[in-house]
Amino acid sequence: MERNQLLEQVNAIFIDTLDDETIKISEATQASDIPEWDSLTHIQLVVAIEKHFSIRFNSKEIQSWKNVGEMIDCIQTK
Amino acid sequence: MVFSVGDTYNQNFTVLDETYKGFIHLFKDNNPLHTDEQFAKMKGFADKVMHGNILNGFISYFIGECLPLKDVIIHSQQIQFKNPVYLEDELLFQAIVTGVYESVNVVEFQYEVKKKDLKVVAKGKFQIGLLL
Repeated sequence: MERNQLLEQVNAIFIDTLDDETIKISEATQASDIPEWDSLTHIQLVVAIEKHFSIRFNSKEIQSWKNVGEMIDCIQTK
Repeated sequence: MVFSVGDTYNQNFTVLDETYKGFIHLFKDNNPLHTDEQFAKMKGFADKVMHGNILNGFISYFIGECLPLKDVIIHSQQIQFKNPVYLEDELLFQAIVTGVYESVNVVEFQYEVKKKDLKVVAKGKFQIGLLL
């Protein structure tokens, strides 16, 4: 899947999980850029992404992400 | 991980008078459907209908006390009520693990609550976090 398609799909997951239609993420987006993206919603984002793409992350991978781009890098390795 | 997809857990519950009265005492829901037998019968039920959210109390007990770990927290819980529950009904709670997300220590379940005649009275989902 193309990287921009991945970003679109991840954006849709953010909108659904964080219940905010206005969210528009980029590869540089960090948790501090989105008020609803806290430690609890982060868990729900990870679960939703794992479900959507039928993949599994490990805790080290998740802890290493500094922004959405690194999250997408990780999805692409699966 | 203690949980695997497909694991099932069962627990029996009975809607006791003390549970019913305790719920009313705590939450003040005295709607006649729950407290007036004649009213409930006029509306087509066999007896006073127990508060549906008593079942949520049983689910809380199930998650907090009946799973193999005590290190759990409820993230979300959904319930659909399918049939009425009456006082002294004996209920079987059956839950199956439908998702395990080790990266974030999350486990998802689907459950059904059935009467002894296997009629489903409620079903739904819940998600727990493991406090490991």
